[in-house]
Amino acid sequence: MRSTILSARWRANSGPWALLCSVVAFVYLFSLGPILITAAVSFNETHRSSFPPHGFSFRWWERALAPEWINPLLFSLKLGSLTALFSTLLALPLAFALFRYRFRGRDALVALTLGPLMLPTLVTGVGLLQLFQYVGWREYIGFTALLVGHVVICMPFAVRTVGVSLHTLPPNVELAAGSLGATRWRTLRYIVFPLIKSGVVAGAVFAFIHSFTDVNLSIFLARPGEIPITVKILGFLEFGFAPTLAAVSVITLLLPLILVAIVERVSGLGDFIYGDRDRA
Amino acid sequence: MLEPALRLVGIEKHYAATVAVAGIDLEVNEGEFVTLLGPSGCGKTTTLGLIAGFFPPTAGAIYLEGKPVGDLPSFRRDIGVVFQDYALFPHLSAADNVAFGLRMRNLPQAEIARRVADALELVHLAGLGERRPLQLSGGQRQRVALARALVINPTVLLLDEPLSNLDQKLRDEMRIEIAGLQRRLGITTVFVTHDQGEALVMSDRIAVMNAGRIEQIGEPAEIYEHPATRFVAEFIGRMNFFSGQVTTAREVRTARGLVIAAPVPLGIASGAEVHVAVRPERSRLCRDKPDAGLALKGTVRQVLYLGSTREFHLDLEGGERGLVEMPNDGSAVTFDAGAGVWLAASFDHCLVLPARS
Amino acid sequence: MAGTSKRSRVPAHWLLIAVPAAVLLVFFVLPNALLLSASFLKSEAQQLTAVPTLENYRFLLTRPLYLEVFLRTFVIGLAVGAIDVALGYPLAYFLVRTRSRWKGLLIALSLAPLLASVVVRTYGWYIILNRFGIANDALLGLGMIDQRIAFMPSTGAIVIGLAHALLPYTVLTIMGSLNGINPNLESAAMSLGATRTRTFFNVVLPLSLPGIAGGFILVFSIAISAYATPAILGGPATQVAATAIYGFIMQLLDWSLGAALAVVLIVCSLTLLYAASRLGARRAVL
Repeated sequence: MRSTILSARWRANSGPWALLCSVVAFVYLFSLGPILITAAVSFNETHRSSFPPHGFSFRWWERALAPEWINPLLFSLKLGSLTALFSTLLALPLAFALFRYRFRGRDALVALTLGPLMLPTLVTGVGLLQLFQYVGWREYIGFTALLVGHVVICMPFAVRTVGVSLHTLPPNVELAAGSLGATRWRTLRYIVFPLIKSGVVAGAVFAFIHSFTDVNLSIFLARPGEIPITVKILGFLEFGFAPTLAAVSVITLLLPLILVAIVERVSGLGDFIYGDRDRA
Repeated sequence: MLEPALRLVGIEKHYAATVAVAGIDLEVNEGEFVTLLGPSGCGKTTTLGLIAGFFPPTAGAIYLEGKPVGDLPSFRRDIGVVFQDYALFPHLSAADNVAFGLRMRNLPQAEIARRVADALELVHLAGLGERRPLQLSGGQRQRVALARALVINPTVLLLDEPLSNLDQKLRDEMRIEIAGLQRRLGITTVFVTHDQGEALVMSDRIAVMNAGRIEQIGEPAEIYEHPATRFVAEFIGRMNFFSGQVTTAREVRTARGLVIAAPVPLGIASGAEVHVAVRPERSRLCRDKPDAGLALKGTVRQVLYLGSTREFHLDLEGGERGLVEMPNDGSAVTFDAGAGVWLAASFDHCLVLPARS
Repeated sequence: MAGTSKRSRVPAHWLLIAVPAAVLLVFFVLPNALLLSASFLKSEAQQLTAVPTLENYRFLLTRPLYLEVFLRTFVIGLAVGAIDVALGYPLAYFLVRTRSRWKGLLIALSLAPLLASVVVRTYGWYIILNRFGIANDALLGLGMIDQRIAFMPSTGAIVIGLAHALLPYTVLTIMGSLNGINPNLESAAMSLGATRTRTFFNVVLPLSLPGIAGGFILVFSIAISAYATPAILGGPATQVAATAIYGFIMQLLDWSLGAALAVVLIVCSLTLLYAASRLGARRAVL
């Protein structure tokens, strides 16, 4: 009942609503414009980053698929997948501990778990670089250090989504399972784990995306030959042109987009979006 | 003498700031349907949880079929529980929900399938086994919860206000159905509710609880006709109360000098303050002062028409209030608001109860 | 029924959390501690010494060059926060109130930019704002200017780029806040005679202030530690805190100053966090 009353009244006096709609249209233009322009530029005939595009060509896309760009892309995919895996694995016990037990150090553990979300990833990157150099792990700077750093900053996402799932378990189902003869382990296995599956998946997806799009931490821990795609693009921007960059950029946007679309279809992500405090 | 199926001795449950259960002794015989009846917070649900083994008692012992359960966790007690919110497993079909307890007992697949089919049949859900809880109505979910608890053939069936989430009509239907089912299967049952109508209809015995204790336990008629305390009298049905003082073993005198001839329970001394209680449906209204029995003068404040009965809310002399319920038997005799009347009742229908301590 | 699943058995949870907690302690707490200590040590010839000093902080907080960096960073944060609240609120309100059947798609579109790396989003602005880019082409074409303007590198370009990149955050925060407002309140106000506009300013806006404040603080704190956008749209002459840190550490190899600046950022972030929690904006589950 509530929304129909509101919308009916809105429609009745469409002035304010129409004004709102036009403002919103402008905001969408502002938000999506640059991305669409980048996509358009990637089809440019000439090598200038001009818009509207002159002519139409796939040649920059060919260049984008050359090893020079494919390798960092694959590197980021590998890094992102492993990050998602380890983040989720480590997040599970944390989420269980935080959401099902009361204990004295709980607040401290919450702070520790959410810490990487609260501080700039830049700082975490700098700190990790210092750690690896100081302790003499220089040879691990590159993939290993990146993996470690990414897991640290992505774990909180997984903890949060698994936590939301645990939090929204129907209240008495575990008691019901117990009353029907299920031991605590069997209750976990047959009732709890299936019911938190969506939280686990969402956590893995958010972790992957956060890792794939990270730049602030990665710039400090990358190494020639072991460079995530975002850092590589950043490096090339100095040289200005190259709609190749535009093509590569579009690819790096499409990949997470497709991933999210698939997961949303299969298991749904909506419940986990609110409360998502990401960092650039 | 046969061992009772369930026995609670001195059961207590204390939490940090409150005492949920202050001392319960209860025996439930095999096949009996006992209801724990009381307002929210009286400890009835906690007691059920203690029987089920969801948490341990602070004091006291519980015996199932004569054997102490001690610290046994709930999955080792032979019980079946129906929760107020049904607690169905959302990711399993109705049939899989019902089968769960049997799976946990590692029974062979064929037997599980057979028993599940029988159980669904029993609760009139045959054919709906493949549906998920989300696709079922509230009443259907309730039946699945029932089937799930019954199929494992528990020693004791525990029901925690299973009907409170249903609408009135469904509730009335399910009351009778559950009671009938229980009688047919002969399963010892403990039922928790705050709805006295349910308790009266379904139970072999009712234990009325208040503040963590059982105030009175007995058959429904016994509880209704002969409540032992004001709380029980008020909680079941409605009651008129008039205060007075005991003069002799068979007499109570009200503040306005009216003498009521009704038996005074043992243990109440002469001079003690008491309540005289009369059911509204055992009272009637008269235009003139009745010759014998309880007679209180007053005016009609409000008349409520309920179809099969009429309720007359009265303001009595002396400031007390009265309620009289008279059947709508089609006679022309009735009273309007503002009319001066007499509330009349036979002394035989007056109960003397101790004043609240 | 009263059976909760929270128990206070001691052994199980310590085991559960041992590994992840260890990872966080070693690879999150320890690095930050190292940074903190490095910020109090002197650097000589690009090597950290063991000499404690406050010189690093004094240097950063008194040199005009770095004061300018702080100021610029701060101003960018404020501007981006304000712009994103101004742009994000109408969008959030629209998304919460619209009855269109494309609502889900519209929400997804508003959040989709988050899927692209900041670098990618900023590149679009690079294309638009550079001397030979679209903005100049358009303005020239319209005859509004007769000479190409260097929109970038500049602080203004950074503001635009960051405002664009961080807009979804205010949309999310404000949407969360608006969703928490009981819709019957608006109906009640209108039944009492308030027009849509007055209802908005007297009922909706005040109740969504926590969301606005939360969104502003969130965007501000991300903006002051942003690297990619200032690096691309600013230049060597327009440094912000993040680019300065990068410069200290990766180019000058001066860990003392880099660490000190990083610590300043940490302190700012924590302060903002505290401010946000006091304002009680919509809490996450933990």
